[in-house]
Amino acid sequence: MSVGAPTVRASRLPDSDRLFGVFTVGATGLLLVTFVLIPLWAILKNSFVTPEGIGLDNFARYFADARFITVVGNTFEVGISVTLTTLVLAYGFAYAIQRTCMPFKGVLRIIALLPVFSPSLVQALGLQFLLGRNGFVNRTFGTEIDIYGFWGIFISDAVYAFPHAFLILSTALAVADARLYESAETLGAGPWRIFRTVTLPGTRYGIASAAFVVFTIVITDFGNPVVIGGNYSVLAVEIYNQVSGQANFAMGAVIGVLLLLPAALAVTGEKWIARRQFASLTSQSVPLVPRPNPARDIAWFAYSVLVALAILSLVAIVIYASFVRLWPYNLSFSLRHYEFDVQNGIQPLWTSISVAIVTALLAIVFVTGAAYANHAFPMRASRILYFLAILPAAVPGMVLGLGYILAFNTPGQPVYLIYDTILIIAVCNVYHYHAQGFLLATTNIKQISSTFDEASATLGATKLRTVWRVTLPMIWPTVLAVGVFFFMRAMVTLSAVIFLITPSTQLAAVSVLYLDDRGALNQAAAFAVCIMATVVAFLVLTQLALRLAGIRGVNLVR
Amino acid sequence: MGKTIFQCCARNSIARLIASAVVGTTLLFAAPGISHAGKITVYTSYEEDELAAFLDAMNKDLPDVEVDVLRLSTGDLRARMLAEADNPKHDVIWGWAATSMVDPRIMEMLEPYSPEGIDKVPARFRDKDGYWFATTGYMGAFCVNNEEMAKDNLAMPSSWQDLIKPEYKGKLVMPNPASSGTGYLHVASILQMMGEEKGWAYLDELDKNMDQYIKSGSKPCNAASAGENAIGISFALRAIKNIDEGYPITMVIPSEGAGHELEANALMKTSQNKEDAKKFLDWTVSKSAEAEYNKWKSIVTMQGRDMPEKFKKAGLPDDISTVLFEVDYAWAAENRDRIIAEWQKRYEK
Repeated sequence: MSVGAPTVRASRLPDSDRLFGVFTVGATGLLLVTFVLIPLWAILKNSFVTPEGIGLDNFARYFADARFITVVGNTFEVGISVTLTTLVLAYGFAYAIQRTCMPFKGVLRIIALLPVFSPSLVQALGLQFLLGRNGFVNRTFGTEIDIYGFWGIFISDAVYAFPHAFLILSTALAVADARLYESAETLGAGPWRIFRTVTLPGTRYGIASAAFVVFTIVITDFGNPVVIGGNYSVLAVEIYNQVSGQANFAMGAVIGVLLLLPAALAVTGEKWIARRQFASLTSQSVPLVPRPNPARDIAWFAYSVLVALAILSLVAIVIYASFVRLWPYNLSFSLRHYEFDVQNGIQPLWTSISVAIVTALLAIVFVTGAAYANHAFPMRASRILYFLAILPAAVPGMVLGLGYILAFNTPGQPVYLIYDTILIIAVCNVYHYHAQGFLLATTNIKQISSTFDEASATLGATKLRTVWRVTLPMIWPTVLAVGVFFFMRAMVTLSAVIFLITPSTQLAAVSVLYLDDRGALNQAAAFAVCIMATVVAFLVLTQLALRLAGIRGVNLVR
Repeated sequence: MGKTIFQCCARNSIARLIASAVVGTTLLFAAPGISHAGKITVYTSYEEDELAAFLDAMNKDLPDVEVDVLRLSTGDLRARMLAEADNPKHDVIWGWAATSMVDPRIMEMLEPYSPEGIDKVPARFRDKDGYWFATTGYMGAFCVNNEEMAKDNLAMPSSWQDLIKPEYKGKLVMPNPASSGTGYLHVASILQMMGEEKGWAYLDELDKNMDQYIKSGSKPCNAASAGENAIGISFALRAIKNIDEGYPITMVIPSEGAGHELEANALMKTSQNKEDAKKFLDWTVSKSAEAEYNKWKSIVTMQGRDMPEKFKKAGLPDDISTVLFEVDYAWAAENRDRIIAEWQKRYEK
């Protein structure tokens, strides 16, 4: 077992490797600065603009507001409670998928991801249909459940964040060295002790990454609180109030800056955790293959089915509502909501698919590239690189989208060449969800021992060759999973891209927003069902293509 | 993944495939949109369905002008236009809240234009210097869910005063003025109608009955339609559409008068194709446009209209001006920050 991050220092690398390292780190850094830092600065600098000139008055004014403490308190209450709940639930689910022999793993895995297949407002809609005052549960059982407020945000954000956590944790649990488990058993350790001393430490990096991702997406999400949050105010909604409600960019930017703080904290934490992460997969590793154990498998199966049912119920009710005449008053079957009367009909769905494919391809190269650069070349610059790579998770989509306009809508500068095309939308998607993809890839790369690299180097291979012949072959299922993740996000994301779409690049998720806006809830549900069906079809087709290429046993969704 | 990582016969071909696909697709999609004469871009906040009907008519009347339309909600569109101010992408603003149009940062991007036939639009629906004019508008109304009222044996409210009766406790929902322009319009018109002191006292009472302040301006009527709340303080058009859709709701126009918002049109100073942009703006006050507005909008500023059947059925009077409260837009815009701050202090926990 080799301990610690790669021990090879940049200074000891041969020249060609140095060059390769400088190139990958440099290119990644340049892209992150261009597509994350510059747009963020373009909008967040407004926080320092006051009527009296440049200064910190806006911050002072916001901190002095009596509501400030309440709103920050609420944000943390939701952020922390959702993070803890989601981590526990998702870890259990990922464990059941990766470490047991329970049946129907494929189906359960897809269900776990359903929440990322549809725009987040659909999920809040599902929750309203199911648990609203006039929702399915209250109507059927005569109860008087009132979910508007904390519990509404809690449930909808937990469901929203679940797939993000599951993806990272599942990647972390996918790789393990069977010899460790055998030794532990030989030494007489019980299952709980093995879990505590082998499994948990081996997935430490994954847990920390998942915690960061869940916490930041919960505190930056405004889609769910807007629909189901009642009078419970959180920071992300405050940004929306300031920017969209009052056209006050300065105060919106102040809140945007506050939301970046967790990302800064995470960077400090990462160094500490990464030091304690050992590589689970070394050159002598024997991959852990779970052995059947009926009692355990049935218990985990029951658990997974429960979680899956909870997620499924939210989605199922939306699908159901799309097929009835008028939810909840007339439940007779009807297909009328599938005759979309939005401006361009179903056309935006095709645009969305193009955008999603471009997003996925760009992410495969640039996001996994960033993860590799950050891991393989530990230079002084890579701390900054890491920070920039995960920073976008802390940025609400609205802030990023407006930042893109401010930074790139200037004729004559290079990025303007792709402005107004679907490429800028795809690029925005890649960097909006950069942190999730980056951490997914990093979690996997960190588990692979540097002895592979060293062995390869000893045999005279350059780094570039090692990547091609050794690293990529080991991590390519994760690379593919990154692509799939970005495809799914690009199909449904809203908050940033509504500032970048043009009349000729309308997106499917925006159509859902229009329909929901004008109260055509059933039609909004129907359009969302089309999006979900597209994503599922895409997954099935890709899986088929892999099979045809003779590759088996690869899960696109890890 | 266990066994698969060591069986990666197809790795190189896959990697190559991915690499070439990335390069290929990137190049394919990088070609920027080419703008050409005869084409204009219009930003609007008209709702999808009415927009589609208006555009159908417009395409028949102006076959040689290609109009690209982008629709966003009022607030999102304002944020986008302010961010794009250095290089605006649109030639025309169409059907967009007049209270947002008067924002000085927006006004300085406009060029005065008075289309042919503007005289049909009374002066009070136009900017005095000709920067914008409003052809349509929407008015405040309550959406009341019949089933929810019957369940609790409640009487139908008919005025703002009715809404503060104790029996409606927890039944009301309205848009939050901090996040929604329409929410602000309600608050501003109440303060103007009753005077500030009495207005705030009234809002205090209203707050006691309020279940929630919804963030988006379009939601309260939908919440009432879905039975999530009994009474949604919202807009007439939404009520009419939802009644038409089949929801069991009644539209109530408050007897003290309904606040309203105008939907204004304007020409951008930066337009590269002013000739066609002006043709389009001329069309927005044409007979044929008016005929379409009449089918869809609760307020049409051009005089003498035939109210469509579904509007009358929902309870709209033939002469709208009898139920409208004259909102002082300038006052509303000037006092916005102060009123919202006060409102948040009082009612936002």
